[in-house]
Amino acid sequence: MLCLLGYLFVYSTGRADRPIRSDGFSYYFYLPSWFLFHDTTLSAVAKDCCGGVYPAYTAIIRWPTTRRWVNAHPIGVALMQAPLFAAAHALTRWTNLSPDGFTLYYQHAAGVSGLLWVVAGMAVLSYTLRRHFSDGVTAATLATMLLGTNLYHYATFDSSYSHPYSFFLFAALLELTERWYERPRQAVSVLVGIVAGLIVLTRHTNAVVLVFFPLYNVNSLAALRERLSVMTHERRLIAIMAAVGVIVVLPQVLIYYQATGRVFVSSYGDLGFNFGSPRLIGVLFSVQKGLFFWCPVLLTSCAGFVWLMRSNNSARAFVVPAILFLAVDTYIIASWWDWQFGGSFGHRGFVDTLPIFAIGMAGCFTSLGSHRQLQSLVTVVIVLAVALNSFQMLQYWNHVLPFSDTTWQQYSGVFLRWR
Amino acid sequence: MMRRGYVLGSGAMAVALCASLIYLRDPSWLLSTTSGMRGWEVDANGARFRWMGGHASLFVPSSAHTIEIPLRTTFDQPGDWPITVSVSIDDRRADRVVLGDATWHSIVVQMPTPGSRKVRRIDIRLDRTRDDNRGAAVGEVGIR
Repeated sequence: MLCLLGYLFVYSTGRADRPIRSDGFSYYFYLPSWFLFHDTTLSAVAKDCCGGVYPAYTAIIRWPTTRRWVNAHPIGVALMQAPLFAAAHALTRWTNLSPDGFTLYYQHAAGVSGLLWVVAGMAVLSYTLRRHFSDGVTAATLATMLLGTNLYHYATFDSSYSHPYSFFLFAALLELTERWYERPRQAVSVLVGIVAGLIVLTRHTNAVVLVFFPLYNVNSLAALRERLSVMTHERRLIAIMAAVGVIVVLPQVLIYYQATGRVFVSSYGDLGFNFGSPRLIGVLFSVQKGLFFWCPVLLTSCAGFVWLMRSNNSARAFVVPAILFLAVDTYIIASWWDWQFGGSFGHRGFVDTLPIFAIGMAGCFTSLGSHRQLQSLVTVVIVLAVALNSFQMLQYWNHVLPFSDTTWQQYSGVFLRWR
Repeated sequence: MMRRGYVLGSGAMAVALCASLIYLRDPSWLLSTTSGMRGWEVDANGARFRWMGGHASLFVPSSAHTIEIPLRTTFDQPGDWPITVSVSIDDRRADRVVLGDATWHSIVVQMPTPGSRKVRRIDIRLDRTRDDNRGAAVGEVGIR
């Protein structure tokens, strides 16, 4: 309900332009291309919307050798938007709006879709957290995640980006991984394959998160050996999982092949990674987009992972893959040529990973249960951090905070100011 | 008791859904709805216009007999080609005109016999656009 109110506020007060904009356009536009124009080459939408050529902001480029359109953004978001897109199309026909894929109902179907996937992700995450932590800790963690990070912003203001979708998929992967190891079954294997495929289809670099599956509850070399033996024993289910994952990813491979004549493509063209000079400090602590600068509540997650590692809490099973994944993911994000990821509130590259941070945060909150005085202090600090985050989000919505390249001078100049 | 509540709740939702669908069949707010057009601007002669990209749509009352759509484009760059404009009413092709110079052109379209709706959709499509996805300037549509 809170997300829906935020969404209505953003669009009824004109704080955001229509939902299908910027990256949201290129994630979404497969749907009108395929289902309204029956065109997999992506040229029909270009002809209809833009006289034959996509504007530069869309990141849709003509492949140099084939002259066909290649979208920098893969098809995963569009697939997950498809149910509401179908409803929007039926309603568009009913109301006699233009059925071109970009009129009123299509716009808000894409916007509300992201919101609903965040809500679904929260529900799945709540289910996982409650298995390891108390109801109170779970509620506090979810509330802090939603309001103390940029998750709420990506559920409302920028809900057509890929991050709400990845947030759900990461939460689903954690839940399904745990279920599979509780009792390996064919149905859960198929679901893991689908979720893994969609993770790759939504953001290719997020494939790294799949380390969670083999490394869940592996805390020693002996555990790793045992894990290998379990996976060998369950090789039939692992093969089913892998096959489903490949089938889910296959359409994307065919699209790349059709457009470029190649199966593996860097769809960003010449833009790429600088693995030799990652901007780690910038990504984690800078005023421009630093993760912990803009979402300081996530420091509790780091403390929580340390506590979980030493505790007997069953969520300990997530710690090793979480630390490994977060380290590699941070390195990948910091190596991207535009390490700030363009315009965003906070660093949007980490929104996808919030379900993982939530486990650490819940661990931290649980650990505080035996330290009454520290608990009160941390609670006050977290409430203040959540309030500051919410205020800064409103500043961003009101264009008081810059979309990117924020300097300390700019930040301090508008600190706690409405304009 | 639970079952009764469930039936009543489902019934209320079904009624709300039907009422919404009836309302959305032909809502009057369509008349102020456009798509594919930017904000209003005023040219040197005081005429109001909006830039459209490759495709724009607007709505007119079905009581209209004739509509007049003023259009012009730019020829700022050497080699700028004329732009062909197609107009359709409720997805039926109505007229076509070529903007071969930078002056205002008017497309006058006789409206076909109205159907059951109170509002009709006019789609304007261009075969090309200029830089920054500016295709044609659309003036204020005259309705008679």
